[in-house]
Amino acid sequence: MLDVDSLTVRYGRVVALREVGLHLEKGEIVVLLGANGAGKSTLLRTIAGLLRPLTGSIRFDGSELAGCPAYEVVRAGIALGPEGKHLFPELSVRKNLALGAYPHRRDRAGVERSMEEVFSLFPVLREKAGDAARSLSGGQQQMVVIGRALMARPKLLLLDEPSLGLAPLVVEEVFDAVAELNRRGTSVLLAEQNANAALRIATRGYVFETGQVALAGSRDELLDNSDVRRAYLGI
Amino acid sequence: MTLFFQQLVNGIALGSIYGLVALGLTLVYGVLKIPNFAHGALYMVGAYITFVAAVVYGMGYIGAIAVAVIVLAGIGVALERVVFNPLRHAPRLHSMIAALGVLLFLEAGAQLAWGAEFRRLPSPFSGTVVLFGLPVATQRLLVIVAAVAVMIGLSLFLKRTTTGAAIEAMAQDRAGALLVGIDTRKIAMLTFAISAALAAFAAALVAPLNLISPTMGEAVNLKAFVIIILGGMGSIPGAVVGGYLLALVEVLGGTYISSSFSQLIAFAVLVVVLAFRPTGLFTRGV
Repeated sequence: MLDVDSLTVRYGRVVALREVGLHLEKGEIVVLLGANGAGKSTLLRTIAGLLRPLTGSIRFDGSELAGCPAYEVVRAGIALGPEGKHLFPELSVRKNLALGAYPHRRDRAGVERSMEEVFSLFPVLREKAGDAARSLSGGQQQMVVIGRALMARPKLLLLDEPSLGLAPLVVEEVFDAVAELNRRGTSVLLAEQNANAALRIATRGYVFETGQVALAGSRDELLDNSDVRRAYLGI
Repeated sequence: MTLFFQQLVNGIALGSIYGLVALGLTLVYGVLKIPNFAHGALYMVGAYITFVAAVVYGMGYIGAIAVAVIVLAGIGVALERVVFNPLRHAPRLHSMIAALGVLLFLEAGAQLAWGAEFRRLPSPFSGTVVLFGLPVATQRLLVIVAAVAVMIGLSLFLKRTTTGAAIEAMAQDRAGALLVGIDTRKIAMLTFAISAALAAFAAALVAPLNLISPTMGEAVNLKAFVIIILGGMGSIPGAVVGGYLLALVEVLGGTYISSSFSQLIAFAVLVVVLAFRPTGLFTRGV
């Protein structure tokens, strides 16, 4: 479904990703592990169209997305729930969600259906629908981030550090929701520092080090790997 | 009492103009973070287009207003495309300098095209109407009614339509707007078009009351910046309330304190407000 091949991205003179390749099949949850600055965020932001790669290709369902602007990537079926949330703080939760369906804005009935689906995944958002996004707790805001991305009806959902700054119980709630939306048919590519929580729901994973893929494997292979256990699981 | 009432009407009419001009300025600042120093020049060009359409081409006043609004919307889009869009990744100072360049270009262009002398646009609404037993100039009443109608229309557009929500979204988080699939280039063009059209509408309304000249935009430009700093940069309600507040203080202060003070008052109000609320009246403390 997604094929990234020898992708190189630079910020000015700093190389953030060097010749990165990865793939994801329909229905998978793939997790990207790695320390801060290892390149996980850069990869997701590049796939989403916020950054332009220097070289390399990003093929999605047969079409080339490398260098496409973000608003075209969303239309192709990839939505990003970014790190730092990037919600619209003064707008209501309902408006934030509705804007997530911007590519489908003429299909009002469809937008309502998607919104019901998001509310069924995160019931608390229904109560908060009229409140400004900025007034929500961190966990609720993360639910809006995921919900807003789902409103675009993506085939592939990219999530960047959804557990950042959340209490352990809330992290569990968010990851349960990610597993649930995956069961409903959305593939997920997830960048996460919280390896324990992420590997619990993932099918496969990639470990990033200084802008390169250091290790790739199935969930169980990664859980058994002594380097991964020491560096990311704290065992 | 009659004097007070008349000055009140004058103040509200002036505030309507200030509000429209400041709305366009605050919209462009809010969405694109560009302080458009050329905004007053767009207002001036709007007045000339109204004048040319009405006097040279003999169109009716209402038709001339429509022409000015449409032409200026086009100029707004052209400015975004040709001047500001290429600079969007450059340091902010570059777009400020570019805006000053546009200001000089438009003023010199107007002087070349229409001359430096003052022009007057005859109004089809030159009479007076009696309101609460007191006479009010029909044109001033038209200014107030038309301006308030446009402000309400703009607010409904921003709050009730998806395109309006996209404009607000881009103002609040540009990356977020891109991620939900908003084509930020189109929103940038639309914002400039609305901004310039609002300036043209304000100028067309005020043209029969004031003289038209290539430098008529300068004072209004300065006032509009005072208003959006007062109301909070990028704030829509701030621009409207700030516009009426400034105009009323200016007109009533000019009447009851001293007419030579009226220009000073704008800046005195600005200094006082910023001393107590440095981010302006309508913004959340950051």
